[in-house]
Parts: sequence; structure tokens; C-alpha cells
Amino acid sequence: MRTINVGVLGAGRIGRLHTENLFRMPGVRVKSIADPYADFGAWPPEGIETGIDPSLVLDDPDIEAILICSPTPTHADFTETAAAAGKHIFCEKPIDLDPERIRRTLEVVDAAGVKLQVGFNRRFDPTFSRVRQAVIDGDVGDIHIVKITSRDPEAPPVEYVQSSGGIFLDMTIHDFDMVRYLTGSEVEDVHAMGAVLIDPAIGDAGDVDTAVTTLKMANGALAVIENSRQAVYGYDQRVEVFGSKGSAEAGNETANRVTLSNKDGVGSDTPLYFFLERYQASFVAELEAFFASVRDDREPPVGGRDGLMSVLVGLAAAQSMAENRPVKVEAS
Amino acid sequence: MNHTTVGVIGAGRIGRMHTENLVHHIPDAEVKAVASPHLDEGWAEELGIPGRSIDNSAVFGDPEIEAVVITAPSGLHCELILEAAAAGKHVFCEKPVALEPGPIEDVLKATQRAGVLLQVGFNRRSDPSLLDLVETVREGRVGDVHTVRVTNRDPKAPPIDFVKRSGGIFLDFLIHDFDTLRFLSGSEIVEVYATGGVLIDPEIGAAGDIDTAMVTARLANGALAVIDASRQAVYGYDQRFEVFGSAGSVAVNNTTTSTRVVSTTGGVVGRTPHDGFVSRYREAFIAELSGFLAAVRGDSPIVAGAEDALAAVRAAVAARESFNQNRPIRLAETAPVAGEGTTA
Repeated sequence: MRTINVGVLGAGRIGRLHTENLFRMPGVRVKSIADPYADFGAWPPEGIETGIDPSLVLDDPDIEAILICSPTPTHADFTETAAAAGKHIFCEKPIDLDPERIRRTLEVVDAAGVKLQVGFNRRFDPTFSRVRQAVIDGDVGDIHIVKITSRDPEAPPVEYVQSSGGIFLDMTIHDFDMVRYLTGSEVEDVHAMGAVLIDPAIGDAGDVDTAVTTLKMANGALAVIENSRQAVYGYDQRVEVFGSKGSAEAGNETANRVTLSNKDGVGSDTPLYFFLERYQASFVAELEAFFASVRDDREPPVGGRDGLMSVLVGLAAAQSMAENRPVKVEAS
Repeated sequence: MNHTTVGVIGAGRIGRMHTENLVHHIPDAEVKAVASPHLDEGWAEELGIPGRSIDNSAVFGDPEIEAVVITAPSGLHCELILEAAAAGKHVFCEKPVALEPGPIEDVLKATQRAGVLLQVGFNRRSDPSLLDLVETVREGRVGDVHTVRVTNRDPKAPPIDFVKRSGGIFLDFLIHDFDTLRFLSGSEIVEVYATGGVLIDPEIGAAGDIDTAMVTARLANGALAVIDASRQAVYGYDQRFEVFGSAGSVAVNNTTTSTRVVSTTGGVVGRTPHDGFVSRYREAFIAELSGFLAAVRGDSPIVAGAEDALAAVRAAVAARESFNQNRPIRLAETAPVAGEGTTA
């Protein structure tokens, strides 16, 4: 297998996670990591170039592919610069919060002829992939209803909420992509109802912490996404696809399969705590898929258009809640 | 034991089920008469019911009968309740009492004036699993309620003739779910948004109804709720409920007639859920009548009253309006004037 030289932009939590995964991935060599704020004292291990300037990665002709794991406002710029330099790009979601900016960035990527994959890791989760496979195999027949439960174990800091674009763009965006992935269809109409039930500070910051979003899909199916910023029992991630021939359902995953029964009841451990634990396998699988696309010169399984669509749906949901009416999703 | 003498009006499928429950499973009930235009005499005789008639006066005219179970076609519910109230009899009436708020308000007033009880057949309120769920919520074990979720899917779409006169999916089917939201949350429905489609049978669409529906609701306590409903789940009667809150969540899943699991090279397969409401809510149907009779004797309050029927119908009418107009509807928009806000 040909070895691909990789550079990483951003050494925060997700950047480190991906980089650690790359260390164990055959056919990939992490050459350099740039982050203006990181302390590279203890990490990464020796032999990897580090620096505060992104040009360390972007201007290095040896680097064939880059991972963009920096803060969201830098994603579009880095993607365009990397594309212009002929590098293949794996970019964390969202590409940007402004659809116009995403469109411009995608034009640059297209013109450069490089691969772009967006970090919708949940598509690579073995459980959700199996649900999708059941749909593809026709096990559920025509899709009628999709239900997604997506609850975080703890609310993010208010500062994050202030700059994240709000719940529909920082959290539900994954669920919008999941509905598109599971159904293979596009979202046409969105209605969102939200409430501030967990932390009044989130409300003061102009966001909600609890939301129910219903979607009408182009294939006629209905979908509902239930979000909460805080489920005290852990990361609650369930999906169900119901159709003319049956349903496929994915429940929560726990660290073990133990059932404990005593006089008080029958129980198991709580769901895996958060995305790092729950989606561990998917983070590896999405990068494997990206590098396979680069190596075999194929379209990545989650592309720029997917990144754009989820933002368009997120903006429609935010507008729906603000105006208290269903909103049609803008075409890509 | 203190017996309560009961009469039954209407001996269709539900009527026969309730009657058999009264005879076989509720020892303190004595069914004295059953009236139905197409009464199966042999069936009633076998149950040992002495009064068998095609004429309702066999029930309403009998001074010994204290309580009446009304399981006649829905369109007759209100006039039969009024007749029972006029005869001074307590009433158990199947849902829907009516397809709009006005007539329910009328029977509510009439029964109050007559001093008789009126219980409505919201059977889920008597289901052991749902009662357990509600108790868990009331005990505060999930904390403040944030979201309530109901999945309601029938095993088989009803005949088109039924769809044409049922009042539509929101009034004949989701009516239970609107009541369930109130029951589980202990709060009132303030606003609804309904979306839906014809995904199962084009004939249902041709009859002016939909077969798949999703309703989002905002409750008075601030919580949000969602109902997803389908006229046809090929794997059986899908009835699931969840209340999520600040301290955790509580859920009720599907039950099955058997817990058998088969594991082979093809996979691990258990039984499908119940094949319909009669078997899924068997205990609930017995308990709701048992509860009604206890209320008649003054031992306990009724399980679900006309106010509950009214609230559920208001929500259902608002949901239908929301679907027709494709916008969220606040119940306050439709509630104040009886009968208004309903379209054909």
C-alpha cells in the first residue's frame, strides 16, 4: 500500500483524536501538525513536525492530504488554501455556517480537483451503518418514519453556545445528516420547536437546550429528531427507520453487556458517556474511507454537498423556530 | 361483595369485549341487560345476561341498572350519554365521545346536572405499564419533564369505510395519544404542529385522510412532546412511550404474548408485539371498567372524564387544522367557541 503523507491543522480534542488514530493506520504517515495555541511539549511523540503557523502544513509539497480540525471559522479558508495547493482534504463539520461561503469553497475544491470529505463520523458507526444496510437491502420496505434521539450527556459551556451557531448548527446538524444518510433522500420541509429547560444561561445566549424537529423528506417519509443538551444518564443516541415492511432500530451502546438483577430491579450500565467513547470506531472508519478514496481516486463517501445540505437544513430549522412556522429547505 | 348492576348499549366488537370482561373478570359487576340493534342473542344468553333486546329502553328503562356502558357507534355516543344521564345512570362511554368540542361540553354539563358520573374509554390510563411510568414521573425520579414521546402504530390499516366516517387520523387514532401526553406529563397541550402523508394506502388519501402522522406539541409546563403514528406496522401493534427529564428518563416498550427467542445462523429472533389493542391492553380494558364501577360505588375517582375527552378532542382538532393549514396551532385559537375551527 502506498503511504500518504498527512498534515493536521488543529491539535485540540478532535485533532488529537484523529492524529492518534492515524498513528495506528497502515499506509498513512502524519508528517506535521500546526496549531497556534497548542502546547506541543508532551504531545505529539517525536518525529512529527509541529508549529504554530498553518503554512507548515499547507506549504509542504510532501503533504498529500490534510485534516482540518481547527475552529469552525477557519475551515473554509484552510480548505480553499489546501485545495489550491492540490491537497486532499478531510474537514471537520461544519465547513462554514454561511451557505454562500460553503458554495464558494466547494467551487474552489471542484476547480482544484481534490477530494473533500466532511467529518460526519456517525455515518461510519457500525450500528448505524447496519441500519442503513437494512434500508438498502429493502428489509424495512419503503421508508415512512425516521426517528432520531440525540441527547448529549452535559450541556456545553455558554461561551461555546454563543459562537456555535446554535443547537441546530452545532448539534442537530449531525442528526440532519443522519436522516439524509439513512433515507437516501433530501429534506424538503423543516419544523422546529424548542425550549430552554436545562440552563437559563443558554436561553440568555439566544439558544435553546431542548428541541423537537420534524422533517418532510423528498421521498415522502417523515422524520423526527429529539434533542437535549443534557441527559444525565449519558449520551443517548438512538435511531429507528420504520417502513412498509418493518423497522430497523438501534439502541444505545454500553461498555459491556452485563445485566445486573437484584431486588430493586434489572439493570445495565449507562450508555457510553459521550461521542469520544460512543463513536470511537466511526472516527477510525471515516478516516480509513477518506484515505481509501484518495488512494483509489474515488469520490469520498461524505462530500462537500453533504456538508452544505446539513447547514441548509440547520438554518431552516433555526428559522422555523424563530418564526414559528414550517420552512422549506433551500436547494443546494 | 357489593354488586353494581350494569347495562350495555352496543354489542359490536368493543361492546362484546367489555361485556365479556364484566361477566368473566369483574366479580362486582352484574350485567343485567344488553341492547344492540344486531344483538347476537346466543352470545348474550351464554354469558347469562337476562335482559337481551334490540331496544335501548331495556337498559335505560330498568330502574335497577345503575351504570351503563356505551359502546354503540361513535356518532350515537352523545345522545346516548344524554339519555343515560336523564335516566339517572352513571356512564362509561367509549372514545371518541364526539368529534368536536361542542357536544362534549354539552354532555359534560348534562351529566353534572344529573349528578351522574361519566367515564371515557381512554384505556391506556389503566394500563399497568403506563401507570407505573406515570408513578415514576410523579415520584420525581426523572426530575422536571422535558420531553414526552409516544409511538402509536396499528398493525393494519382500517377499512376505507371506517376512515370515511371516523373523523380522520387525528380524531380516531391520535386522540389516544393526545390524552396520553396529558396523562404522562400531568400537563396540558398548548400548541401543536402536525405533519403527515399518505404512505400506506392511496385509498386512504382518496378518502381525504392520511395514514402516517407526526405531531409536535408544546405543553403548559414548558415540556415538548412528539407523537409518531402509523396506520400500519406490519410487525404488530407498536406502542412505546418515553418521558425524559432533568434527572433521567423512563420508558415503556412493546410487550409480546410470549418471550420466546429463537437463535439460529440467521439471527436472533423474538416474538412480534401484540397483534392489536384487544390483547395489548387486555388488563387495561378490565381495569378501566373495574375502576369505573369503583367510582360508581364512591370508592375512587373516575379514571378519565369528560374534561379529558374534551382536552383530547381540542388537541386533535387543532392538529387537524395544523395539518390542513401547514402551520403550528395554539389550542387557544380553536378552543373558545365550541365547534369552531373544524373543517370537513
